[in-house]
Order: sequence, then C-alpha cells, then structure tokens
Amino acid sequence: MIEVDVAIIGGGPAGLASAMKACEEGVKDILIIERGMELGGILLQCIHDGFGTFIFEETLTGPEYAQRYIDEVKKTGINVKLNTMVLEIDSAKRIIAVNQEDGLLEIEAKAIILSMGCRERTRAQILIPGDRPSGIYTAGVAQRYINIEGVIPGKKVVILGSGDIGMIMARRFTLEGAKVEGVYEVMSNPGGLTRNVVQCVEDYEIPLHLSHTITNIRGRRRVEGVTVAKVDSEMRPIKDTERFVPCDTVILSVGLIPENELSKSADVGMDPITNGPIVDEQMQTSVPGIFACGNVVHVHDLVDDVSKVAEVAGRGAAEYIDGKLKKRRSPIKVKAGRNVKYVVPQIIHGEKFDEDIRFYLRVKEIEKSVKTVVLADGERIFEKKIKIVKPPEMVKLDISPDILNRITGDELIIDVEGEEDEEKS
Amino acid sequence: MKRSHNFTCIVCPMSCQIELIEEDDKILEVRGNGCKRGEEYVTEEFTNPVRMLTTTIPVQEGRIAMLPVRSERPVPKNLLRRCMKELSKVRVKAPVRCGDIIYENILDTGVSIISSRDLSIGNYSEFR
Amino acid sequence: MGGRDQKIAKKLEKKIVKKGFPDVKISAEEGIVRLNGRVNLWSEVITIGYLAAKTKGVKGVINDVTAGEIERKGEEKKVTKRDVYDNVSLPKRADVVIVGGGVIGCFIAREISRYKLDVVLLEKESDVACGATKANSGMVHSGIGESSGTLKQKLNVKGNKMYDKVCEELNVPFERDGLLIVITTETLPPKVRKVLPPFISNFICEKIIPYVVFRKGKKAGIPLRPVKREELLEMEPNITDKAIVGVYSPTYGVVYPYEITIALAENAIQNGVKIALNTEVEDILVEDGKVKGVLTDRGTIESEYVINAAGIFADEVAEMAGAREFSIHPRKGSIIIFDKEMKGYINHSLSELILPQDPHTKGGGIFTTISGNPNWGPDAIEVSDKYDKSVTAEEIDTIFECGSLLPDFQKSSLITYFAGLRAATYEEDFFIKASENVLGFVNVAGIQSPGLAASPAIAEMVRGILREIGLKMGEKEEFNPIRRAIPKFSKLGIEEKKKLIKENPLYGNVICRCEHVTEGEVVDAIHRPLPATTVDAVKRRVRTGMGRCQGGFCGPKVARILARELNIPLEEVTKDGPGSNLFVGKTKSLLAEEA
Repeated sequence: MIEVDVAIIGGGPAGLASAMKACEEGVKDILIIERGMELGGILLQCIHDGFGTFIFEETLTGPEYAQRYIDEVKKTGINVKLNTMVLEIDSAKRIIAVNQEDGLLEIEAKAIILSMGCRERTRAQILIPGDRPSGIYTAGVAQRYINIEGVIPGKKVVILGSGDIGMIMARRFTLEGAKVEGVYEVMSNPGGLTRNVVQCVEDYEIPLHLSHTITNIRGRRRVEGVTVAKVDSEMRPIKDTERFVPCDTVILSVGLIPENELSKSADVGMDPITNGPIVDEQMQTSVPGIFACGNVVHVHDLVDDVSKVAEVAGRGAAEYIDGKLKKRRSPIKVKAGRNVKYVVPQIIHGEKFDEDIRFYLRVKEIEKSVKTVVLADGERIFEKKIKIVKPPEMVKLDISPDILNRITGDELIIDVEGEEDEEKS
Repeated sequence: MKRSHNFTCIVCPMSCQIELIEEDDKILEVRGNGCKRGEEYVTEEFTNPVRMLTTTIPVQEGRIAMLPVRSERPVPKNLLRRCMKELSKVRVKAPVRCGDIIYENILDTGVSIISSRDLSIGNYSEFR
Repeated sequence: MGGRDQKIAKKLEKKIVKKGFPDVKISAEEGIVRLNGRVNLWSEVITIGYLAAKTKGVKGVINDVTAGEIERKGEEKKVTKRDVYDNVSLPKRADVVIVGGGVIGCFIAREISRYKLDVVLLEKESDVACGATKANSGMVHSGIGESSGTLKQKLNVKGNKMYDKVCEELNVPFERDGLLIVITTETLPPKVRKVLPPFISNFICEKIIPYVVFRKGKKAGIPLRPVKREELLEMEPNITDKAIVGVYSPTYGVVYPYEITIALAENAIQNGVKIALNTEVEDILVEDGKVKGVLTDRGTIESEYVINAAGIFADEVAEMAGAREFSIHPRKGSIIIFDKEMKGYINHSLSELILPQDPHTKGGGIFTTISGNPNWGPDAIEVSDKYDKSVTAEEIDTIFECGSLLPDFQKSSLITYFAGLRAATYEEDFFIKASENVLGFVNVAGIQSPGLAASPAIAEMVRGILREIGLKMGEKEEFNPIRRAIPKFSKLGIEEKKKLIKENPLYGNVICRCEHVTEGEVVDAIHRPLPATTVDAVKRRVRTGMGRCQGGFCGPKVARILARELNIPLEEVTKDGPGSNLFVGKTKSLLAEEA
C-alpha cells in the first residue's frame, strides 16, 4: 500500500494545474497518475493554436500550453506515474492502478482529484444507420492518428458535426492534402466557435451544410460514401433531399461525454445533465475529500477555464487535508433557470464567503441582448447584461462575496432573461 | 470597379456580418459592424490576411512519430498551402526542445517554423 | 422429368401463376424443384420460393428467379492479398476439406481432428467466425422455439446438452442464465382479444398457453417450468405491467459465438487441422460422380471428401459441385448492444410470446451477453444481397420495440449495433446430407437459428455421415480436447493479477479503458495457433474496442501493436482483412502525391 496526500487521476490540463496549485498550497506528497506515456493529455494532439489567451495572455498551441505546465511540474517534487491505468477508486479513497514496472498498485490518498477528462460520442450513440466498414473515426481519434501516430486515415473526407474539433480536423485534413467534401451539421447553427467557422472551414472553401445529417454509411471493406439529407425543424431527415456523397472517410464530431466510470466506482453523486459529478464551489464532490475538475465535470470550450477551475480543486484538496476546508453548512442548490441547460458548481457550501465564486453556464439557445439573473429566495441578487449567448460559448458569472453573503434560503436560480421578458416585467 | 466582400467578424461572440466595399483595392466603405474593432478586423482581413500555421514534422528516433510545429508569427493566408508543401519534405531528429527553429525563413516570409514541444529520444515503434 | 416430377411441376405452376407470376419457369428432378425467370421485387422471389417449398412432394427448392429491383450488387470487390495474412501454406492433398470457417465448419474440424485424418479448413475471410457466426446473438437455445419433429429441434435439444462439456474443454465461458418466455396482454392476436371477454382471454394467457408451452417442451425433452406472476415479478422486478405469467427455460444459455468458434479452430489446429485463411474456393473438382478436390485462389487441394459449411454461400459451393438441392436466401438480423452498466436491470433473457408465431423467426428478445451487456434483437429482414450487413433506421426502430418488456430501460446507454445474415433455405430446416449425385460431397447447409445451439450435435452427425459414405476414421490417441485460453486480466483477482504481471509485464499495460484489456492479451492473441492479424480479429479474442468508447482509446494502441508484432508498417494494418485498411498512408504522403 502506497500512502499519498493527494492523488490526481489524469495528467491532462486539469490534473497538471490542480497538482501545481496543491503543491503551491504546501501539500508535500502529490501523485499524478497518467495512463498515457506522457503528461499533457489531449493537449498533445491539439497542435493548433488558440490556447492560453486568458492564462498566459498569448496564443499557444496545445503542446506548448501543456509544456508550460509540464516544465513547472518538473521543478517541483510532484510524483508522476506514467503508463499507469487506474482500475478502481472507492469512497474510502483507495485506488487500484496498474502499470508494467510496479505491477498492481494499491494507493491510499488523503484526498483525490478526479481529472480524467472526457471521451467522444460514437457513431452508434447518434444512431447513424448503414454498413460498418473501415474508415469511420471520431474526430479526436483521427487527430491522434495524424498528429501523433503519423498516419492519415483518408483522402476524401466527410465530417459530421461542426463542433470545434470537427472543424479543426476539416482544416487539418485539408492542409495535409486530403479533400474535405463537406462538414454536415444537424443543428441550424454551427456547433463550434465562429473563429473556427471562419479560419478552419471558410478559409479553405469547405462547404458547411447546416441542418443536414448523414442518413446512411455505405461500404463493404472501406467506406465508399455516405447519404446525406436535410433535416426538418425536429431534426428528422427529409427523405427527398437525400443524396449520395462518395468518400473514403467519415469523421464524427458529435459531442463529448465526461468520463466518469471511476467516479461512479467511488460512489460520487452525478449530475444527469452534465454527465459529470455534482461539485460545490471548491470542486468537491459528494464524497468528502474527492474533488473533480476539468472536462470530467462538464465539457469546457477553453482549456484556460479548465486550468483555472483545476486550481480551485487543487486548493480545495490542500485545505481538505489540512482540515481547513471551509466549514460546511447545509448546501445551497444552484439551479438552471430559463434558457440555461446547466450550471456548475451545482451546490455551494460555504458559510461566509471572502472571494468570488465563478459559475459556468451553458445556455440552451442563442439569444441576443440578454440579462443573466441570479435569484435567491425570489430576490434578484445579481444581474448582468450580455450582448449574445450561444450554446457553444460558455457563460461565466463571477459573483462577489458581498452578494454571496446576502444569500438566504437554500436555493439559487440562474436565469437568462431575454429582451421580451424584460419588457413584460 | 466597385466590389463587395463579406466577412464574419470573429472579434467577439456577436459574429457580425460585415460588408466591405472597395474599388481597385481602396476601401470605400465598411458596414454591418457593431463596433470599431469590427472595422479594424475586416480591414486587416482584406488588406493583409494572416494566419498562424500549425502542422507536424516526422521525427526520427523520437518518443513519438510526429513533432508539432508552428510559425513563430502568423504568415500570409495565401501562402499556407505552399508552406505545407515546403514543410512536407522536412524531417527532424530527436531530441528537440520547445521553441527550437525547425525551418528558417519559410518562403522568404521572414518567419521561421518552430517546435511546439520538447521531444526526447525514444523508439516509437517500441510503443507501449 | 419423371412422371412424379412432372406432376409436382404442374401443381406448382398453377400456384405460381395464380399468385400472378406467369413467367416463372419450373422444372423438377427427383423432387428437387428448379425455378427460373424474373419478377419485379425481391419479396416476390421469396414468396415464390416458399410456395415451392410448401408444395407436396418437393424435397428441395433451387430458386434462381431474379428480381428487377435489387437494391445492391452481389459482387464483392476483389482485393489484393498480402502475405502477412496467409497463415499456412496450402497442402497439395487432404483426406477431408471443410469449406467455411464459421461455428459449424470449426466444430466439424475439431470433431474430426479426433481421428487420423489430414483435414484442411478453407476460409475466404481473414479470420474464422466472420460470417453469420460473428453476428450471432450467442443464445444457446433450449429448442422450445422450434417446431416439433424438425431436424432443427432434434439437433438443438441434443446440442444444448453438449455445451457444458465442450466449453469446459475449450476454456470458454458459458452461462446457463435461463430464458423467461413472457406471456403478456399482447400475446393473443388483437383480433382474438377483441372478440373474447377479458376473463376468458386472461384465462387462456394465464393457464392454457403456459400449459401448451410446457407440454411441447416435455414432448421434446426440454425442461420447462411455468412461472406465476408474483414469481415473475420477483425474478424480473423491472418487467412491464403487461406481463401476465411466464414459462422459465433453465437450460437456455449464452456463449460468445466468435469466442467458441476461435477456440474450436485453435483446438482443431492443436490436433493437426490446417486452417487456411484468406483462401476462397473457386471450384469443386468432380470426376465420374466423385469428389476429386477443391480449386482455390491459392491453388488446388486433392481430396475425396468435401464438407460444405459455407453458410450464406453454401448454395453457390454446392452448385460448383453439381450437388445443389436448395437455395440460400439471406435473412438479415440486427442486434443492438447496451452498456454493461445496465447489467443489473435484467436477470434472465426475456422473450415475449406473440401469437401467431412467425414461422421464419423466433423474433427478437432481450438477452445479456457473458460480459453483462444487455442486447436487444435480432429482427428478421429478407435481403437480396449476400453482403448487405447494413443496419437501417427502420430496423433500429423495430428493435427498440423489443424493449417494451422493460419500459424504464435507458436506451441512451446504447453502445453499438450490427447485423448478420442468416443462411435460410425455403424449407426452413437444416439441410445436412451427403449428396447422392456427387460421392464424397456433404452439404451442411441452411444452418440458421438455432444453429449455434445445435452445432455440437451437427458436428457429431457429420462425423457419422462421413463414416457412412466410406471415410476410414481411426482414432488418434494423442487427441487433446483441452485448449488453453488467453488470460483475461479484468476477470482476475488482485493476487492473480500481480502474479500474471510478474510473469509477463505486458499484462501490466492496460490499453483498453472500458474493458481493461492489457497489451499482454493483445500480443497473445496475435501469436496464437490461429493468429489474429486484424483489429477486428484482436477485438473478437480480447474485447478491445467492444466497450462504451468503441475503440476510441484502444484503437490507435491496437493498430500499433499489430504493426509491431506483424512487422508491417502502421499504414498496412487493416480492420478486418485486405481492403479494409485503416489508413491511406503516412502523414505527409498526400502532399508528396500532389507534387
């Protein structure tokens, strides 16, 4: 049995930043457990730039962003186990992991930080009918093949889903000499950032077909083509708009799912909307001493946000093992109100607040000229105007201690109010 | 001859649809922008659009098969494909440090291509 | 045509003309009917085939009627072969050649490897179990679903009893988790329900139907137990309120169909059988009414005994020998698999009894695989193309209806779906016979459900047939029925895991996050007696890519291990054999092509 103060599951951006913070806060014995052969997680294959504008105030590539943290971690006494897979965690904070050098590892931690990230939604989960030939990849897997493994999956590519990774891969394939036949998006708006629509798709004259989907994949050994169709307002394919697009590769960028099998094995309470653990303002889960941060909690658009929230978890873990974690009172539930899909953190525990809490909101629909409103016991304790909200772009609300300390009752509701609502009120 | 060009502004999430009207490369009018930054953005995009180039270079004797690289500054947008072509012949040997110059002054732009990470020696085929 | 045959042809012609197909040509010989011509729809071809099969005096139907509307071409693209997949050199002669490496071919191969014989099994794909076997549900039926008196039922009941022993010998997991036949408020046809007073239909469902099912089982030697509603709810707490009573079939079990087939193939190889993969039969050589050998795309093998276990292609292989007495019309079945986190939701396999029963399929149900993944399906769709393994949107909807037995089941936990083709004949029974016209040629055809359950009994039957037609079979003393399995890391206890890693550190490298498969298992699979040379072959042996992420994490790792162990460049790794390459080249190779 190995005993550590803080065990961090996953050495991606969330794990790295939380480890650094815990270390800064004086935690001596920190162990990062990473299943890959290197620290950095998914950032290592995200070779494009655009990372770090908030944290480092410059635009970095994914590997550069990771390198900055890796260099820092190396300077500290933080222990790292690479090529190590965690098999199980229990609520007593015991970890079973395995690697080639040590064999089976039994680790007991005073605190655990879950930072396993997320995985990609697959073809079956969105029910695309047809054959099952070679040549169908999720965008992240294709990205790994091209950027890390050094092989290119196809020459004639159809991309389903206009999430950021889908569009980034459209550009990546094009720059590598493949032909991207089109990006198809079932929604009526792009799923990723406008910057990516412009710089990854429009720059290369790749057709972006909104309100379209793939209705069939054809090919015996290798993909031979796909049938695409327009969809109606309820996202059902319109039969007579179907057409066949020859291609040898289908790339799917159809969503990410927080990876929480280990969280579940530790009996951590889950949020069915985010598919991640329910956390409080210190990123502590329902199991005392188990914290979570990054895409394992909910899927972020910017790695900078992940790093920032990971620091909250890292400090939380440090305070927990020192017994200094803020006194817990009965929780205040934070609820998603009008046009809000979810809010993280889902609960707040603190009794007296001395610093901001940042709430992350994902809206359901695009809306212009809105007001985000925080209601406590029916009272509007906070309001902020925002020019536009979009599902692909997370809304961040920093609520100051003087507002937080005014909360009465055990529930907060966060609404996004449209112009019309305002007129009515 | 007067010509009109359409842009989607990426400065902020508003994504304004901006129209730029020019005659013989002289900008006559910018409309549709919600703010001053939008005008600056389309002016830049019209006169000298630049992009950061990020790609990979095959590595010999490295820990992984490909080295991620980027241009140290953005390069003219219309040169991206030619840069890719030029770089497709390049091979590097591990070890490499983040920031090392991999290819100097690509296509006489004055911009060098630099490494995006540290890459130590290894044998990736002995993958585990 | 003899007088008897003429009579059959005439009678059939009348029926077919009456149905509206005057242009179909009919001939008959020794009770075997041959149909030619052209109609509009594939469904009409099927109708005509069944009409013929149901005509009195008809022993076999060769239905060569074509349809104008064929949705997809039947020709498969020829692909270049690579040496890496040619696992054995093809011998010049053999005592017995088996055509087809599905569960049937492999069971026969293993069965006759007990004797002093040179046996060669030919498989056109890059692995065994690539046809119907791969897409089989893995249900080892009890036999209750089959019509009384059929060969199917006889072999099913017998085969089911043989499973425990053979699975123990081969070291493959087999679980008799039992099947609950559920009688619901929808068991009786709507028409009947409409006219009968509720208390009568309830009485029929509660008392009469279970009794009838029980009697049928008793007659066939299938143990069954009626289950009252209270017990049913205890056994399956999540079952629908529509459920009235049940009949429990304890001998029903589940196995991985590809796993047992691979194990059989490996054990056959251990006992001297040669299995040639990527080897396609092009002709059966026949002289003077006797089999002389098999012509393949990799050379000729002389042999006086050929067993046709070619599954969906069995009619084509029989035709090559001039011994065709049946037609195979592919009937597609699709299955949906759910995450094993839904494991606790059902305890037994479930099948809703709907009357009248479809004579051509037992219909879909809900069952749990060995690893605990609930499966729904399969459905049954006639298709014209022997390569059509697509799952359509309509099928997905149909299969979701199977789930009506479990109303609160989370459909969002779906992880994948797939289809296979049943090798159905128009007679709808197994066709296991030595040819009377071609001596030494044995057809083992029309093996559809419950073929997996019946397969041990089929192999025994074929062994008997071979002996009857003159093959000398001396027992081999050194026959070893035991096959060692690849260790399954995820199933081991902590101390066993530690020990295994100590022996071979590759077992400490977990490369599949969902199923916890280790590099050691993958490397083992690649170097077994029957080598796994593709991503899918590895998957069938060690479950990489079968979990919820569907290979998102392990895919790149498995590809790289395959490249390393087979000593080929990464870009030559395939999904399931020649033509299914994962990549078109190295990164940068397309830019070089442009130049």
